[in-house]
Amino acid sequence: MAPILEVDGVTKRFGGVAAVNGVTLSLEPGRIHGLIGPNGSGKTTLFNCITGVEQRDEGVIRFRGHRIDDWKPHRIFHLGLGRTFQIIRVFPELTALENLLVVTTTEYDAARERATELLRLVKLERLAGEFAGNLSYGQQKLVEFARVLMTDPELILLDEPAAGVNRTLLAELLDAVQQLRNAGKTILLVEHDMKVVMGLCEMVFVLDHGEKLAEGPPGLIQADERVIEAYFGR
Amino acid sequence: MRRWFPVVLGVAFVLLALYPLQATGYGIRVMLQLFMWIALAQSWNLISGLTGYVSFGHVAFFGMGAYTAGILIARADWPWLVACLAGGVAAMLFALLIGFPCLRLKGPYFAISMLGLNEVLRVVVSYWESLTGGGNGLSLPTLHASVPIYYAMGATAALVTALTFVIVTSRFGLRLMTIREDEVAAEAMGIDTFRYKLYAFLLSAVGPGIVGGLTARDQGYIEPISVFPLVTTITMIVMALFGGKGTIWGPVLGAVLLFTFQEIVWARYIYLHQLLFGAIIVAVVLLMPRGILGVLQQKYRLPRTI
Repeated sequence: MAPILEVDGVTKRFGGVAAVNGVTLSLEPGRIHGLIGPNGSGKTTLFNCITGVEQRDEGVIRFRGHRIDDWKPHRIFHLGLGRTFQIIRVFPELTALENLLVVTTTEYDAARERATELLRLVKLERLAGEFAGNLSYGQQKLVEFARVLMTDPELILLDEPAAGVNRTLLAELLDAVQQLRNAGKTILLVEHDMKVVMGLCEMVFVLDHGEKLAEGPPGLIQADERVIEAYFGR
Repeated sequence: MRRWFPVVLGVAFVLLALYPLQATGYGIRVMLQLFMWIALAQSWNLISGLTGYVSFGHVAFFGMGAYTAGILIARADWPWLVACLAGGVAAMLFALLIGFPCLRLKGPYFAISMLGLNEVLRVVVSYWESLTGGGNGLSLPTLHASVPIYYAMGATAALVTALTFVIVTSRFGLRLMTIREDEVAAEAMGIDTFRYKLYAFLLSAVGPGIVGGLTARDQGYIEPISVFPLVTTITMIVMALFGGKGTIWGPVLGAVLLFTFQEIVWARYIYLHQLLFGAIIVAVVLLMPRGILGVLQQKYRLPRTI
């Protein structure tokens, strides 16, 4: 099948530092992909380039056949590419329900129904009327996760979904991700928790110093000398 | 609270509508000014309270409306009400023109650009003597129409407030608030933030344009320093902050309380007035950044509609 997302030779520089340097990767539809690498390896910057939050300096990004590297984030979102953030970015003075409602452009009642359904999915329906800023860290993470699902995106980028989430919640979250995959969605997640990555992902990309170090199924990646070296040193 | 609120509102509305029947000329003047402040504070709230883009030059739209209406009345003999509405349209067109560059700026840069813009407009009006009368000002033909202007001003204040109500209770309003809360996340969640900011900015310019025109008609004489003063912007900001920015009734409450306060103190202690006003600003920012209504809403968990 044709890849849903193609990143081709993408480079992003901040001053003299190339945070992402000539990275090429492609995502197959309907699979869960992992993006790993030590701190500062460029994972979040790559996310930002794909979603239009940052403009890439070089390279081409294609999503569902469209060249999106010059697009604004809101346009990319409506083409079916949703994301969550590493540092939570809910709208604190909007209620949990409103956080979801603002996302869609569908008719109000339908949007409300969908939002309520999603809050039920993440078990927050009783907190629908609470300001998002008053929720716990884990709950805010779930609001963000539910929010990205409002428009039923084809590709979902999750930036460290497991960080700061307790075990019970994490199991539910991972279960939800698995369900999305079974529903035919494509997922790319940045994660530090190796257990999560190895257990969930079908394909893993490794970044180090802004460059792609390796890619392959989790079993091979775990045994790759270069990856071990990047993480633990020689 | 939810039940008696509409009742109080209805009673106030009827009383204000009947007020000119028995009021003195002075009384009407005072209420006229109160309506003006409500419309101004509320309009400022539409852009700055909801999207968080603090405008330090909102009086520019007031001046734009005043001069548009003044010129149309004095030079083209337009009926005053039509001329004042034209003032609103002119202010909106001006907002469209400056919105494109200015709304791309963020935070303090937007605030400063608006401040500078107002000064530019004031200078242009001062030097374009053939059209505006320059520093000598512009005199409008004499007209005794305080009562009709009272109603027009009151209607403008009511309409801007009604508009705020409609916006705050809609998804459009919620999207404006997402810009204030986190503009990057709003963009990433599919909201075309620039377009939304621009819409809010246009809507926030109409009210000041109309009341600028009405003020020009009411006073019969305008000059650059009287319709472009920085203190007018500051006063509308303080009123909106004091009452509660980003809420529907906060700017109304702030305008009523501060205007009443100003009238009382102004009459008694002319020198203390500025000092006390400054003290209020400092106190609000330090102790009550959400304003009176913001604090009440949070404490009693009131809905946005109150």
